[in-house]
Amino acid sequence: MPESIPASLIIDTLKDTFREARAALAAEVAEPPQHAHLGWILSVPDTHQKTVLAALDKEEAIRVVTCATEDEATAVAAGLHMGGEPVVLMIQHAGLYASINTLRGVAMDGKVPMFYMIGLLSREKDRDPRESRHSMVRYCEPLLDTFGVPHARLEGPDDVHLIPEYYRLSRARRGPAAVLVGLETA
Amino acid sequence: MAMKPEEVLRVIAAARGSAIVVPTMTTAPAWRTIAPDDLSVTCVGFMGGASSMGLGLALARPDRRVVVLDGDGSLLMQLGSLATSAGAGARNFVHLLFKNGVYHTSGAQHIPGGLTVDFAMMARAAGYRVTCAIRDLDEFRGRFPELLKAEGPVFAELHTGLAEQTPMTARGGVPFHEQVETLRARLLRPRAAA
Repeated sequence: MPESIPASLIIDTLKDTFREARAALAAEVAEPPQHAHLGWILSVPDTHQKTVLAALDKEEAIRVVTCATEDEATAVAAGLHMGGEPVVLMIQHAGLYASINTLRGVAMDGKVPMFYMIGLLSREKDRDPRESRHSMVRYCEPLLDTFGVPHARLEGPDDVHLIPEYYRLSRARRGPAAVLVGLETA
Repeated sequence: MAMKPEEVLRVIAAARGSAIVVPTMTTAPAWRTIAPDDLSVTCVGFMGGASSMGLGLALARPDRRVVVLDGDGSLLMQLGSLATSAGAGARNFVHLLFKNGVYHTSGAQHIPGGLTVDFAMMARAAGYRVTCAIRDLDEFRGRFPELLKAEGPVFAELHTGLAEQTPMTARGGVPFHEQVETLRARLLRPRAAA
């Protein structure tokens, strides 16, 4: 059974993920960017992650850019990547469907590391997402499978380790990787 | 008379200094000939994404200017990006729109609204700090240096004719993923190359 994850736990995990990414970059390049913030969240607001987005409004260490579409968020992420900035995209499954061509063109063809946190709005607690009554829940994992995007379910507080793991995976494979947020964050 | 895109690009190339440039669609073939350097990255394969990719670069590198060479058909594909770019408030972001009224690459079909669409007004309404429309090459030559230095986001609607080449008639160029790696390496200088 999926459980809600506290927003503060996700934000602390994101901070650690960004710190790790910056340390890795500093070891790799001669001129890593020097900024006061740790990293970037690119968001097209998602109901499941609304408490995280609300809490991020008060965070100075993480910069948030709200984009009008997921296409934009993916392309902005590519630009930030080229400039050496760590980025996480927080979107909803419907936005994944809407922006799949940009994911293909930017993250896959462009070999740009791209880590998504995707809210599974309407995911039923008592049912596997692949057997959901709602097509927008049911098709999310099969769509990611079709495009060869590795993914995992973020189903409770014990799963937050998947955030840095899949972030690292997106870097290692130079492409997209995703975690699916099963319930509304607390 | 509408400006020739290639002449506009030569003005940009001569004045850009260390600016990163993001061309797309019909500006791409000419730009890679006029400015064959490693400080450019072309938006190909995700039409409408040039300004967003440029915005990301501008946010990551506030020490450099970022110049986006957008198209009117492209911008219409992601018109909301005007609000996103303006809202992000990148002061080093210069958005140049090559307005020719058609989807040149796919056969010159008219864009919705054709040449009547006022993109400069849209950009102003979205919140760009500086907006203008330029119809004459001499005017562009005179104004581009100030636009490049202005506190952005800057938007200029450039009234141009059709480019000599399109991505369909002049295929090739460096693959997108190699452009991404090259620009990243130029900006960050990997230790092995440092």
